[in-house]
This record gives sequence, C-alpha cells and structure tokens, in this order.
Amino acid sequence: MKNPYRPIKAEVLDVIEETPTISTVRFKPEESITFATGQFVEITIPGVGEAPFTPSSKPSEKKVMEVTVMKVGKVTKKIHELKKGDVIGVRGPFGKGYPVDDFRDKEILVVGGGCGFAPLRSLMYELFHRSGQFKKLFFRGGCKTSKELVFKSEIDTWAERKDLDLKLTVDVGDSQWKGNTGVVTTILENIDMDCASGIAIICGPPIMMKFATKKALEMGFKEENIYLSMEKNMSCGIGKCGHCRLGTYYACKDGPVFTYDKIKNFSNIWD
Amino acid sequence: MIKFISHNNFIRLLAQLNKDYRVYVPVKREDKRFYGRFENTPTEDIVIGEVRAFEPLKAFFFKGREKVADGFKADMPSSGDKPFAIVGVKACDLKGFKVQDYVFSAKSGTTPDGTNNDDTDPFYLQMRDKNLIISSDCTCVIDTCFCLALGVKPYPQDDFDINLSQINGGFIVESSSEKGEKVIQQNLSLMEESTKGKLSERDKQRDKVVKQIEKNIQENDIPSQKVFEGIIEKNYDSGIWEEEAKTCVECGACNTICPTCHCFLLYDQKDAKKMARFRIWDSCMVKDFARVAGGANPRHKLWMRLRNRFEKKFDFFPKVANLYACTGCGRCISACPAKIDIRKVLKKLVDNKK
Ligand code: SF4
Ligand code: SF4
Ligand code: FES
Repeated sequence: MKNPYRPIKAEVLDVIEETPTISTVRFKPEESITFATGQFVEITIPGVGEAPFTPSSKPSEKKVMEVTVMKVGKVTKKIHELKKGDVIGVRGPFGKGYPVDDFRDKEILVVGGGCGFAPLRSLMYELFHRSGQFKKLFFRGGCKTSKELVFKSEIDTWAERKDLDLKLTVDVGDSQWKGNTGVVTTILENIDMDCASGIAIICGPPIMMKFATKKALEMGFKEENIYLSMEKNMSCGIGKCGHCRLGTYYACKDGPVFTYDKIKNFSNIWD
Repeated sequence: MIKFISHNNFIRLLAQLNKDYRVYVPVKREDKRFYGRFENTPTEDIVIGEVRAFEPLKAFFFKGREKVADGFKADMPSSGDKPFAIVGVKACDLKGFKVQDYVFSAKSGTTPDGTNNDDTDPFYLQMRDKNLIISSDCTCVIDTCFCLALGVKPYPQDDFDINLSQINGGFIVESSSEKGEKVIQQNLSLMEESTKGKLSERDKQRDKVVKQIEKNIQENDIPSQKVFEGIIEKNYDSGIWEEEAKTCVECGACNTICPTCHCFLLYDQKDAKKMARFRIWDSCMVKDFARVAGGANPRHKLWMRLRNRFEKKFDFFPKVANLYACTGCGRCISACPAKIDIRKVLKKLVDNKK
C-alpha cells in the first residue's frame, strides 16, 4: 500500500528573495509530481517539520516546482535559510484546485491580496498558457505597501499583455508608488465585464477575501462562480487528521478551492 | 457458527491463539479493567465479561504514537511483530470502529455533494486486517454507561470476529467473520454444541444488563439520540458552551480517552540527520489545533473548542457518515478533571428551547 505520509526527496535548485520576508524556493523532486493549479503540497524540512504551500510555479512544468513562502513560523523560517543543494521533502499534491476547464469561453476576474499572490501566479501561468480559451481576463491585486509586492518584475510583464487587463493597489502609498492607493475592493469598480456570467477568483488574507467576496456578490457574480481558496491548518492532506475541517468538509481534500455557495452557510468561515 | 466452550477449554483456546497472535485480555486492577498480555496461565484477575476496559480499543489500531515515515524510504516502517488478538472487547468500543474505519478507509473520501477521493491510512487498515477481535457481552454496568442512548446494545452484534457470551460454566462462542469462523473450526475439539437452554440463558443475561442500563439512563435523565437531530445548530450561539467550558483546563483527556476521536498530528523527529515522522494523537481542545501559520485561529476561545468537540460528534459525523460519533462508553466523564459531563451537556442541548 502507498504510504501517504512519506515525503519524496527533493533537491533545492535555487532560493530567490522576493521581499525581505518572502522567498521563492525552486526544487526538483526525485519522483516527478504533477499538480493542478490551486492544489497544495506539504514541504518537509528534515528534522524540523512540515508545512502546506500552494505551488507558485507553472503546472505545465513537470520536473521542477516552486513555492513562495512568507516567513511566519518554524518551518517557514527554515525554508528561508535553505541553500542550493539542500535536501527537502515534498508530499502531494492534495485537494482540488481551480477547475480551469470549466472557465472556457468565460470572462474571468482574478482578485489577489498579499499572500494570495503566490498561488495566483501559478493560476495566471495556466490561464496565460490557455489564453485563447477565455473571453476576457482581469487581474486586480492589492497589498499593504509597495515593498510587499512580490513578483514585481514579472507583474510588469503581465501589464504589457494584450490578453490581460491588470490593475494594482497598495493600502498605503509612498513616494515610489504611482498607482492606486486603497484596499483591493476600491479597484473592483467599473470593470467592463458581464459579472452575471463571469468567474471571480479570490485569494488572499481572510479579511480581504471576506470583503472581496461581498463586493463580488454586489457586482452580480453568482455564488457558484465565486472561487475561494481557503487557508486552514492542513497537516495530513488526505482528510484523516481532522485539522482542516470546514463545516462538513475538509479543506485538504474537498478544497482548498471552494465556490462560495458550498461554504456560505457554515459559521465563521472567514475566521 | 455458534458453539459453547467451558472455562478450562477457553484458557486452552487462548494459549492456542498465543502461537499466532499477541493475545490481550482484560485484567482487573481495583475497580478498573485494563488490557494485559495473556501469558498462557489463567489468573484470577482476568475478566472477560463485566464492562469495557479503561483504555479505548483504538489504541491497538491507531496508536498514541506511531512511526509513519522513516527517512525518504518508500517502504512503510513496520515492527514485524505478531498481530494482536484482543479479547473481551465490548460493544461500545466496536461502535468506535465504525467511526475510525470510516475516517481511515476510503469511505471518508466521498462527501455529501458527491466528490470522491480514495485516500486511506494504510497503517490503520493493515492493523484492522491482521488483528483478531474477540468481543464479549457486558455482564454488568457501571454508573457512567449510557450506550443504549446512542443506539448501542450492551452485547456485540457486528464488527467482531468472535463474540463470547458468559454463562454458567463457560461461554457461548459465536463467529461473525471468516477469520473468526476459521479460528473456531481449527479448535473444534475444545468446543461443545450450544444448546437451546444455553442460548436462552444468554438472552436472559443480556436482558438483565439492558434493564440495568435503562435504569442508569432514567436515573441520570440522559436523552436518547432520537432527539439529537439539530441540537448543535439550534444551540450554536447559546450560552451553554461558555458555561460548560468554565472549568475546563484544556488537558485533552476527553479526546485521548474517546474511542471515536481520531485527530492526529504529524510530528517530525528533531534530528536533521535522520528524517522520521510520527503520527501522534492530537486534541481539538488544545488552543493551536486549528491555528494557521499566519496566526489566525478560528477557535481561539476555549468554549469554541468545546463546542467544536460536540459539533464534530453530533453534527459533522451524522451529516457525513450518518452516525453520531459517541458510543455512550462514558470514558470522558470519568477522565475529565473538570467534571464536565457529556450526559448533562447533551441534556441541556436537547432541552434548550431557545
Ligand atoms: S464522547 Fe465520551 S462517552 Fe462518547 S464515545 Fe467518546 S469518551 Fe465515550
Ligand atoms: S477532559 Fe475535561 S478538562 Fe480536559 S480538555 Fe476535556 S473537557 Fe477540558
Ligand atoms: S489536513 Fe488532515 S484532515 Fe485535512
């Protein structure tokens, strides 16, 4: 029988500092792992422990994977100290990602906040990869300050794309920031799309998800077309350990991506 | 298959089983029963009947601490020891299997809205497959027993390999699985036919215990699961949780002692040279259980965690698996240093009209 708790050995290829607190680790698992965008993996630091991350890399890239990690706890601190050649472990992928096939011929609005940028980069790669299949693509992103904006140079190239309408905002502006200031919902106004038939994808800190979801409903998106990536305290990844329960679901196997209609009746979903 | 075995032959049967299994029997210490290794000689303190053991049966199948990964090696760590034969398991603990089996098998992969995945916990399933369960009827009750309120009869009806019903001079032996049938076949020389008279003696004994539990339930005013529907939703915002949690010291004993609690933590040995991973019992009453790395904690207050414990047992499991995840074993009542009594909490939840 397959052992679901055993990590696969992986070699660190590179560690890229995105911001002082956020780094991207590029690694190569010994056995190739294919994931759908939005699914997550568990990364092991030998002798320290394990933590869940949604890959930020291209799902189509089969041999190498990237996770973008904010320094918040024991494991993430060690991840920041990794060097090329170090050995880590990886388990997964787990759960259900974005059903990109179902987005065919639709207009898509992607809303990202702070930490939500990492999983969304992977999604954007996939959407760009299949760009012709969708009617229109919008990206609206926000973070606290311009210093906390990850993938800056990459997002600059997104801004040039003809198939994407992109707008960014920061909560608090500074001298270097030329764009919009204000929370992300302020750049959700006047978007030229048919919300009633469109798809909204929201990923970020809970408070941002809460308000962006409220806004999306006001804009006319259908509950079943609002996709939310729910952060829970994942451990086993397979619906056994009980840590990530969300109402009658486990975020690890039934999510982490849920449509709003599935979870709206559970209590305190944003806590 | 139904047979009768005398006390003396029963000891011979256990000795026979000891060749292929590590046989455990309930042994009495003061007023409690603990599973102890059977060493081929009968001792006075072995109690096959009476009531459930102190420790939950799950401890044999889903150990408190178990190595589940050894380095990056593909094969599963295993001890290579002989499987267990656990004797004297009671009906309430067999109901515990219904919950544990659901969680650790692929059954839990199917969710109410029809999504599917077939992940299993191979460690648990392997133990379930290899081990032998020889259950037995309860022959008395203790004051915390309330199995009948949860629809569990004090004598096993399924989920055992062999069941023993203690009567005068020995036991009625009944098999309910191929594995159990085989054990009886191989030891037929130790068995006698079970007569009508013996069977009616068993039924009388069973009725007597049922009556005792009914009395327990009546005296303690314990509601039946027939009126549990919606009790969590209805009381979600009630003050009952805060009131009940007042004395809780967050020790987690209610979880570890419970035959249906299945939550665990994957814990890595703190040694960078050798990756080893353990699966350890966890407790949802402990503050950080649901805390995410970023710091947010959906159940930051103790009463929310108490509510969650009840929600899991009396709302989540009935919705996803069509069963209440409580067996009425009463262990959490005796284990709780704060004297939080599940029977009383259930009563309050049922009675609260709101
Ligand atoms: S909740 Fe208490 S009474 Fe119910 S099965 Fe668990 S330990 Fe036994
Ligand atoms: S056993 Fe009692 S005191 Fe300990 S965590 Fe459970 S309810 Fe609280
Ligand atoms: S991570 Fe273990 S149940 Fe979801």
